[in-house]
Amino acid sequence: MLFGRKQKNPIKIADKKIVDWTYTTCGYCSTGCAIEVGKNEQGDVVGTQGVGNADVNRGKLCVKGIFEHELFDSPGRGKTPLLRKQTSENFREANWDETLDHTADEIKRIQKKYGRDAFAVVSTGQIFTEEFYTLGKVVRGLLGTNNYDGNTTLCMASAVSGYKRSFGSDGPPGCYEDFEHTDCLMAWGSNLPEQHPIIYWRMKEAKEKRDFPLIVIDPRVTMLAQFADIHLAIVPGTDVVLMNSLLHVIFAEGLEDKAYIKANTVGIKALKEEVANCDPATAYKICGIDEDTIRNVARLYAKAGVAMNIWTMGINQSTHGSDGVVGLNNLSLVSGNVGKPGGTSLSITGQCNAMGTREWSSCSGLPGYRTLENPEHREEIGKFWNVDPEFFPKKRGLAQTDIFPAIETGQVKGLWLIATNPMTSMANTPRIRKMLDKLEFLVVQDAYEDMECVEYAHAFLPAAVWAEKEGVMTNTERRVNMVRQVVPPYKQSKSDFDIFKELGKRFNADNKVKFSDTVAETFDEMRELSKGRLLDMSGMTHELIEEKRGIQWPYTEEQASKDEAPPTGGKRLYTKNATFSFPDGKARLIALPFIDNNERPDNAFPFWLNSGRLVEHFHTRTRTGKVGNNNKYSPIPFMEINPDAARQLGIEHQSYVRCVSRRGDAIVMAMLTQRIAKDAIFIPFHFYDCVNRLTLGLLDPHSRQPAFKQAAVRIEKLEDQEAAAQMNKEMRTY
Amino acid sequence: MFEVRSDEPKYAFLWDKETREKNQYGQDIELTTKDNILRNVSLNINDNSDIGENPNRYKQHGFYFNADNCIGCHACEAACSEKNDNPAHISFRSVGYVEGGTYPDYQRLNISMACNHCDDPVCLKGCPTRAYTKYAEYGAVIQDPDICFGCGYCTWVCPYNAPQLDPIKGEVSKCNMCVDRLEVGLKPSCVSACLGNALEFGVVENIPENRVEAKTEMPGFPTTDITQPNIRFQQSVPTHREMTRTDGVPLKYHRDDEEGKFKPELDAKQGYSSHWNWKKLLTSHESAHVIFTLSTQAVLGAFLLLVLSFIPGLESISALKAGALFNPALSIMFVLLTFGLFKLNMHLGKPHRFYRGFNNLKHSPLSREIAGVSAFYTFFMGYVALSFFNHPTIQMLAAVCATLGSISGVLGLYYMVKLYQIKARPFWNHWQTATSFYGSLLSLGGALLGLLTIPFSASSELLVTLATLTCIGLGIEIIGHVFHTIDMRKASSEGVASWYIQRTQFGKSWITRNVLLVTAFISIASLSLSSPQHLIASYLWPCLFLLTASAAAISRSLFFVTVIPTTMPGAFFWKNKQFSEHALETGLAEMEQVGVEHEAPHPFRWDELFHTIKTTPLKEMARQTRNIIFFR
Repeated sequence: MLFGRKQKNPIKIADKKIVDWTYTTCGYCSTGCAIEVGKNEQGDVVGTQGVGNADVNRGKLCVKGIFEHELFDSPGRGKTPLLRKQTSENFREANWDETLDHTADEIKRIQKKYGRDAFAVVSTGQIFTEEFYTLGKVVRGLLGTNNYDGNTTLCMASAVSGYKRSFGSDGPPGCYEDFEHTDCLMAWGSNLPEQHPIIYWRMKEAKEKRDFPLIVIDPRVTMLAQFADIHLAIVPGTDVVLMNSLLHVIFAEGLEDKAYIKANTVGIKALKEEVANCDPATAYKICGIDEDTIRNVARLYAKAGVAMNIWTMGINQSTHGSDGVVGLNNLSLVSGNVGKPGGTSLSITGQCNAMGTREWSSCSGLPGYRTLENPEHREEIGKFWNVDPEFFPKKRGLAQTDIFPAIETGQVKGLWLIATNPMTSMANTPRIRKMLDKLEFLVVQDAYEDMECVEYAHAFLPAAVWAEKEGVMTNTERRVNMVRQVVPPYKQSKSDFDIFKELGKRFNADNKVKFSDTVAETFDEMRELSKGRLLDMSGMTHELIEEKRGIQWPYTEEQASKDEAPPTGGKRLYTKNATFSFPDGKARLIALPFIDNNERPDNAFPFWLNSGRLVEHFHTRTRTGKVGNNNKYSPIPFMEINPDAARQLGIEHQSYVRCVSRRGDAIVMAMLTQRIAKDAIFIPFHFYDCVNRLTLGLLDPHSRQPAFKQAAVRIEKLEDQEAAAQMNKEMRTY
Repeated sequence: MFEVRSDEPKYAFLWDKETREKNQYGQDIELTTKDNILRNVSLNINDNSDIGENPNRYKQHGFYFNADNCIGCHACEAACSEKNDNPAHISFRSVGYVEGGTYPDYQRLNISMACNHCDDPVCLKGCPTRAYTKYAEYGAVIQDPDICFGCGYCTWVCPYNAPQLDPIKGEVSKCNMCVDRLEVGLKPSCVSACLGNALEFGVVENIPENRVEAKTEMPGFPTTDITQPNIRFQQSVPTHREMTRTDGVPLKYHRDDEEGKFKPELDAKQGYSSHWNWKKLLTSHESAHVIFTLSTQAVLGAFLLLVLSFIPGLESISALKAGALFNPALSIMFVLLTFGLFKLNMHLGKPHRFYRGFNNLKHSPLSREIAGVSAFYTFFMGYVALSFFNHPTIQMLAAVCATLGSISGVLGLYYMVKLYQIKARPFWNHWQTATSFYGSLLSLGGALLGLLTIPFSASSELLVTLATLTCIGLGIEIIGHVFHTIDMRKASSEGVASWYIQRTQFGKSWITRNVLLVTAFISIASLSLSSPQHLIASYLWPCLFLLTASAAAISRSLFFVTVIPTTMPGAFFWKNKQFSEHALETGLAEMEQVGVEHEAPHPFRWDELFHTIKTTPLKEMARQTRNIIFFR
């Protein structure tokens, strides 16, 4: 009390009076942060904190996690099941039995009339692994449709495909601890501070302890690019050319790890021949990175003791997404950087349980990284589930991005959407709308009834969200972590686990296919199926996972029985020579000829369109759009445009503009910034009826992942700003 | 006491081993002497009487911000709002940014800023209710929303936008330095949450591990001589010569190579086209101030002319006192003044707490203004009431009222000028504020008195006297405006941004004001020279009054709406006034999650007032009154 004050006033500081903390894992991105959710004496959820002794986040949380506890009663939650005959009618509230009966009847009707595959299932990366596993059993074992995939096709399919092509199996081989050992980090199309702030922090901590060169490949000057030692502002969609030219230099200068290549890989000859065509001078003309820089980076990378490549959507969301991943794997293999501390090829995943769906949902195969194409796998799972192996298709069906066009062509008549919002998330919204409108039956299972796709639904199944239920999720570094239930499901909503089982019953009259009663027992089924596989988690239990704050797979029953505690972190794959998942144990080096099939800017549409994520929002904003302390940082969509380009178009900072592509248009607010190139614009992808009205989304031939980040648009100045503001407001109203 | 978790990570704990004696401004870091009675007393946080064991409890603490590292991830803001349970539209900490360069040589400098717990807390000094305390513990400046009456003056004087006026609750709240965490050795929530390793905290001047400097400057940060803020920066990555703001404020920062500092400079973002913007000009939150200041100045001016006219021998005015118009004129003036005061009081977030305005006579010019004007109002009321009686004793009393009213009125006006001349608002911090307010005293006072008397009095001397006085007032004001415009135009401060806004957004209104002002001056001057017939004068004067009053209303409205505080740069949406206004205008703000709120009505809550009266013991009331009177 200075300044002459004598009487001391008591200090009042908000006290939430939390008496009970529940352990969970964050339900947003794939970093896998451990969160405790706090309740007061009345049982109200009032707070969140990062778990201090969890290895992933070490007490930290990002802006989304900090307010994740506000999800539970956010507006727009689904309260009760809804039904209607046709989409022109209003919904009526229905009970669960009625809704599930009707849904099952419709599925049966469609499958009977048009064939089993005419009913498609599109799921997510957001629900728990046990739920994915159960859904897989329902779809593969009971419904029998082969048109079953996850929305992970929009984010991780290229990584999966690339890993499979190079290493013989999916599964990121590295871990966050690699930052602490690496001598060189290349980040490709990955903006950690914005997309994965906690992983960024882990990287920053490592870099402050022991500085290592950071090379960032990104067409925008993101915060990470700005902090990089070398920033390569690449021409969109040309990463493969840069990778090939780096390899060209490495081979030309003999910088490759010959011993590693010999012991661990096949295909070096074809790769050398291919990259011989891609000298830096040639590459410069295509990818925009000058030849000196290419040589400089190649030497820095190849001469580093151990070096790692990380990437996110900048690589995956491209027509060469799978090739890009293979290219990075090529680089890692050639320089001997796989399975070593600090030497890895690590895909930084998108959704909280994208890994769980890849591992256990049977989307593109069968559970536990098994494939439909493998008769032994079909046999094994058929036996385990008590399903005739012949009931399984012999080959993977359509990917998510092919299921929608199959609606267009009339092959698919009915659709079950689970925790995914294609109206906002998929490329070319106008086309998606038409497709959804064509469906004879659409059932939407989601935590939010105001999710945009509900507009086209015939039935709506309200689902519990995140910690209203229990289960595990797998993060980017293959860490299985636990979500404990904090509160019961909202109103009449049910956990996805229960919904799957309930719907499954309607196809399982004779009770032939067995379902476990509880989530924990379901986990036991998965443990059993994981034995001896790459993702062996037979040593884990829910309790042990919580106690250890997550366990990285593999952790085997054998290890557990020998009392070998799982390590806190730092677990890697392919650490021994020739242990890759191909029968010969060798990784494949694959030659990647570059084919330029992108829609490129031209006179009519002179700007590159790029899209991406903001730290305060998650995916289609159904959750973060309602949490004020997230949403307020970007309540409406904006467009980054270079001030020099804006000046030529007469566009003012913070005015509304119209972006037009060959597909549609969008109204956004212009943000003039030199962060972006003069011939490019950037729009965040979180907003409904916005950037994906413009995107083309050409599909990667291997992964079927759309190229969200390469399209051409033109920008038009809007004279009537008031009308634009009104339009913008209407589209943002929840 | 705040509970330290068993798994609390190491980075969350305070680290100061050794501390310095003096800070960069030459102040002692140790805030009290060893045997001071302020020591070893509980902070009484939420009625807990424990005393923290932090070894540096009596040293000035401060935030440390490494601008080279901030990624703008909002984790600090979120952690703060989570801890303090703040709704979306309130934030004790905010992240904005400045940017520079040309693609791909582009640089964004994020700035995370909360309260700087300054050595010279202008908020504490400005607050009329004494809601602020600077504690000997940690040097924390903490505000008590239960004392605050929501005038928002602290938000005017603070250069860092630290105090947050809640438009719904009608009260201010701010960063409390997480003193509950400090008591148990933990860093504030925001610091522990930082994901860029940018934000740190400790005894001021201590440089955290791995950091190399403790500067008090960075581009976009207001000059430290206003408050001597306790924040230190590292900003060692070279910046571009020019750093711009993404928010709507038309300012950029230019490096001055000689001083090595960044100086604010005009960034004419919206070109130079000129607009009317009447609605925004005349219906702002500050309209209450426009009405209050103008009506007070007019009535005080007229009152002073009436009661002091005998001193310079202005007999024509003195003569009015004997006339039939005297009482009605006084009554009208009283109504006008009452209206002004009513508008001012009701614009408070908590109007029923009006009586707290006198609490800080010791430091606050606002408190003194309130005291002066209130006293003037009281004596004026007495004077008006007594003027109805002719008894000599009553006339004596009236003379006492006149004397005391004049003194308190002039003091009130003096502090009214002072309270606007604040460093955090360069547009106001100019002698023009004085010429405007004193000018209005004469011009509006003269014009008002004329309006009430000239049509009913045939005295041509009265007309000439009042016209001359009004003219002098207008002249003073015009001179002030001319110099103010010249000075602001070339100012290296937010003043130039205000000048730009006045010239562009309100350009046409501004020109109208100038034309009206000059027209009024010329017309009244010619009136005083030509002495027209009474009939003409009695029709002309109301017109001239209207002219003068309109000029004054536009002028004063411009004064309030164009001022730009020395705030930290905002972001594109968040802490961008231009976007907030847009959200309010277009209705986006109707969605709570946009984080922009309309001002809620703030009723005068008699129940709360009575409750306070009932529950406050007489002794306490007496003590508080004593404190006020004896400046304690």
